[in-house]
Amino acid sequence: MKAMVKPLPVQQAYEDLLQRSLSRIPCDLGRLLYLASTRDYNTGNYHHDGLADRFSLKVARSALEIAHRQAFCKVAVLSLEDLVRDLATYLQCSRENPEEFLRTWQRLEPYRIAIPMEVNPTVARLFASNVRLALAVLRLRRESDHSDR
Amino acid sequence: MGVWGALAGAFVLLLVLLAWWARAEASSKDSRSDWDASLREQGESVEACSSEIVSQIFSVNDLEFISGLESPGLERLFRRERTAVALHWVQETSATISRILQRHLEASRLSSDLEIAMEARILLQYVRLKLNCGILFALIHLLGPQRLAGPALHTERLTQRIGEALREFQSAAQLRDGAGTP
Repeated sequence: MKAMVKPLPVQQAYEDLLQRSLSRIPCDLGRLLYLASTRDYNTGNYHHDGLADRFSLKVARSALEIAHRQAFCKVAVLSLEDLVRDLATYLQCSRENPEEFLRTWQRLEPYRIAIPMEVNPTVARLFASNVRLALAVLRLRRESDHSDR
Repeated sequence: MGVWGALAGAFVLLLVLLAWWARAEASSKDSRSDWDASLREQGESVEACSSEIVSQIFSVNDLEFISGLESPGLERLFRRERTAVALHWVQETSATISRILQRHLEASRLSSDLEIAMEARILLQYVRLKLNCGILFALIHLLGPQRLAGPALHTERLTQRIGEALREFQSAAQLRDGAGTP
């Protein structure tokens, strides 16, 4: 008789998170920012009510932390071209004024909050640098669109 | 005379850049940005850079994408940004190599049966990697990171390998010492 391998609770919570929440977000950057937003700024602990109800506070926290790290790694290794495309999708979905969005992101650099705690400093630097470049590309495209009209 | 003069000039330039690297490395220990420092506070638990990340830092495709946009300003920004990230990676790698050797020296001091030949090989690898880092640092400044993907990946692989080899070596030494004690 074959023994059934029971998935670990953290794995179940992680899959639940992927299916219920993350699959609805259309871009990698959006998923990364969503996961970073579940982290408490003061303590660094992750929290998600629905996930904690279905599993436990501790399990939900671990699943969110793993998902955040994975989402970050995925975005950090995106080529610049893919990141620009992803950022454009995020901008479109945010329904904000593109001009204002680009200006705010370039000035405040809110994407830095998306960096997980225990990440290699070079990877963190590459991520921030790539987002800065992607923002500059989007701004350039908007400016050339305006001048063409 | 012309060829020798150019060679001597290149040699002097390389020496100057290596000296600059040595100075930059020494000062980087004290003056890294707060952001880096806060990321570093997690100490040894931070993940090492994967080959995928190194390939991304030294990627030619990104430069081609930016060049295709035909904006000199953007291309300058790209070169500046990527050079800064690549130099940071070299400094991080160099610091990792030093940490690995330091840990090995600490473990060696406690070991009862040191193999001189093995220790000499480890020291040679260390010097070779440090030299690689110094040359990469100089060449990144001179040529930009995009032409150096091969040497950078080679250095990354060597660093990973020496780290793994020393970990195994230390585990084996601990087992031997453990078995030797009554």
